Amino acid sequence: MEGYAYEYSHDSSMDSITFSDTEYPRNSYENKNPKERGISKDKLIKNTIVDHVLTQESEFDIDDNLLYSDDEYDEDYDDPYMNSSFIEPISTIKERKGLSKGSVPNLKYECLTTQNIFENMLAKVHHLQPIFNIPPEDILILLQHYDWNEERLLEVWTDRMDDLLIEIGINPSSGNISSSINGNGQMRSISDIIENKNSYCNNQTETNKDENEEYQIPNTRTRDISFKNNFFCTICCEEKSTETFSLECNHEYCISCYRHYIEDKLYTGNIINCMGCTLALKNDDIDKIMGHPSSTKLMLSSIKSFVSKHNRNYKWCPFADCNCIIHLKDTSSLPEYSRLHYSPFVKCINLHKFCFTCGFEIHAPADCIITNEWVKKARVESENLNWVLSHTKECPKCSVNIEKDGGCNHMVCSSCKYEFCWICEGDWAPHGNSFYQCTLYKNDDNNNNNNNSTNTNSITDVNKSLKKYTFYYKMFNEHEVSAKLDWKLGQNVGNKVKELQEKLGISWIEGQFLTDSIRMLNEGRTALKWSFAVAFYSDASHNLTKIFIDNQSLLSKAVEDLSELLQIKDPEIIMKRKTDFYNKTGYVENRTFALMECGRDLLCKGICKAN
Amino acid sequence: MASLPKRIIKETERLVSDPVPGITATPHEDNLRYFQVTIEGPAGSPYENGIFDLELYLPDEYPMEAPKVRFLTKIYHPNIDRLGRICLDILKTNWSPALQIRTVLLSIQALLASPNPNDPLANDVAEDWIKNEQGAKNKAREWTELYAHKKN
Ligand SMILES: [Zn+2]
Ligand SMILES: [Zn+2]
Ligand SMILES: [Zn+2]
Ligand SMILES: [Zn+2]
Ligand SMILES: [Zn+2]
Ligand SMILES: [Zn+2]
Repeated sequence: MEGYAYEYSHDSSMDSITFSDTEYPRNSYENKNPKERGISKDKLIKNTIVDHVLTQESEFDIDDNLLYSDDEYDEDYDDPYMNSSFIEPISTIKERKGLSKGSVPNLKYECLTTQNIFENMLAKVHHLQPIFNIPPEDILILLQHYDWNEERLLEVWTDRMDDLLIEIGINPSSGNISSSINGNGQMRSISDIIENKNSYCNNQTETNKDENEEYQIPNTRTRDISFKNNFFCTICCEEKSTETFSLECNHEYCISCYRHYIEDKLYTGNIINCMGCTLALKNDDIDKIMGHPSSTKLMLSSIKSFVSKHNRNYKWCPFADCNCIIHLKDTSSLPEYSRLHYSPFVKCINLHKFCFTCGFEIHAPADCIITNEWVKKARVESENLNWVLSHTKECPKCSVNIEKDGGCNHMVCSSCKYEFCWICEGDWAPHGNSFYQCTLYKNDDNNNNNNNSTNTNSITDVNKSLKKYTFYYKMFNEHEVSAKLDWKLGQNVGNKVKELQEKLGISWIEGQFLTDSIRMLNEGRTALKWSFAVAFYSDASHNLTKIFIDNQSLLSKAVEDLSELLQIKDPEIIMKRKTDFYNKTGYVENRTFALMECGRDLLCKGICKAN
Repeated sequence: MASLPKRIIKETERLVSDPVPGITATPHEDNLRYFQVTIEGPAGSPYENGIFDLELYLPDEYPMEAPKVRFLTKIYHPNIDRLGRICLDILKTNWSPALQIRTVLLSIQALLASPNPNDPLANDVAEDWIKNEQGAKNKAREWTELYAHKKN
């Protein structure tokens, strides 16, 4: 143990949390009653603790183009108490604790949608157009091919622009298509195959006759839809009078085959080629064929794959039905976060808060390692317990935790969009459309059995640890359940505020203390919940662990008190007890912060560690 | 059963009337989308003189979606795993509706003639192939002897 003395000292409005080096007095986190501390409603902070942490440590870097309409955030600047009563103590804590130079760098991020990103890309196209001197549509295809990486494209472009345009299928090669295709590794095999085709169609002689001319490009040919009588389509093998489409390559197919073909590919985000060769369809062609603007779908899908390929900087908001993307501009501070056992919590425009690294909800005081360890353990050991986390699995590719919804084994990661099999965690592709069943399940079972039999060196030990786990698990679970109920409570809070307005003529602003209370209740509850994961992995014999557990019970009491207060339905009583709301909310806030810091201390000192 | 698309009928007719040398594909009488396939090991390859059974299935979306093909006969090959699944670009990302059953089977035959251990599906086999090509080929020959039908 390091011998430095430190104290968690808040000013008079805050808890006084003091303890010094080797000895941790049991009561050092003990607090005075909020009333004794003289918290007045004026002294109370509207915002939740995590917001403060964000303000303090990961101040949003708000871009001009950033659509941040985070009202609680704006309040920070208007709130005269912000600076005095809360922010200061945090910095004091940091300095005095001497926790490895204290702070973590600011997290600079923005919240985007695929549409935003696509618009940025269009701006890029605009910027590149004078350099490339080709139609913007073609630049889009180039960017799409290079995963929207402008630098890489520019590098290649200067070296070999002509080849590139042919390779990517923007320009047909002069004369014979096949010569251009031959330069391009994998593509060769297909087109060879197609070219060597002995048509299976009945007008075989005709096809054979054409074989040599087929790839000649008539100069006059335009990319357009035409109407043909008795057209024989080589894809569906139907002979009919129909609209057809073809590119300069003269591979002509009926419009319904073309539509079907494109429809399936819009969601891949990949460049769509002619069915017969590597010539690319441009957005304009796609819209023409589909009869409505469908190319945006393709573009947005392509942006999605861009996001998943850049999952170090970009993360999907893991909340259901939220399409926000958090773009962390600089990831270099992340190691510092993990070194100090902070977690990089971010917030999307819909106010969903989550951990950028692991995609979980705010899980402080647990760090990402403890969180993931805990969840894994829960999955292994609590299959018989009915709990939501047994329905989540870590994405084998990006490690974000995703939830299984329903019985289908085909999983799609909400963050990186990786498709995998729930049972074997392998790539989904080879599983196909249930044509191949997953066969790795059995092996897994065997492995588990083996593990169990080798691990039974002492049955009592196993039982003991299982018992310990079950206890913490139950506590965790209890708070999970309560958090859900609190959340429901929160859903109604808007109505409650309205009721205050209507029945008592209270202004909306004045009624916000209710919203703040419920938010703080949620934050406190969540911290409490995750604190059981920290407690589980902490050395129980250590004094600091005991202090941590004391803090848990203090927060637990504070949370229950606030929760009880929030059950009050009568608007008049609510208004009468407004001071109570302020005080109890402030107390939960302080207790939450104390628990988080104490937990982080356990982690920094290695008293709490996974395995 | 739902009516079979013209495209599948035409392809099937032609597979019967004008078969590819060394390859047979027979539709199942109960399900015309399901084919029993045999492929002869190409001359000069470790699979020479063996006849391999495969199954091929045309999914509902065929030809927009690639056929599903799988080896039924055990085979030692870096691009074919122990479940008989085949790693071939045209069966996955590079599928085009202009390709056919015939071309797919030809490609598989070509894959037997020239394995590609750098794009493996069966990692252990591929490793073996890269480290000790001769040994791997011998093993492939042994397996052909053991598991494939004999060509008479
Ligand atoms: Zn057609
Ligand atoms: Zn073409
Ligand atoms: Zn969100
Ligand atoms: Zn995390
Ligand atoms: Zn993922
Ligand atoms: Zn599987």
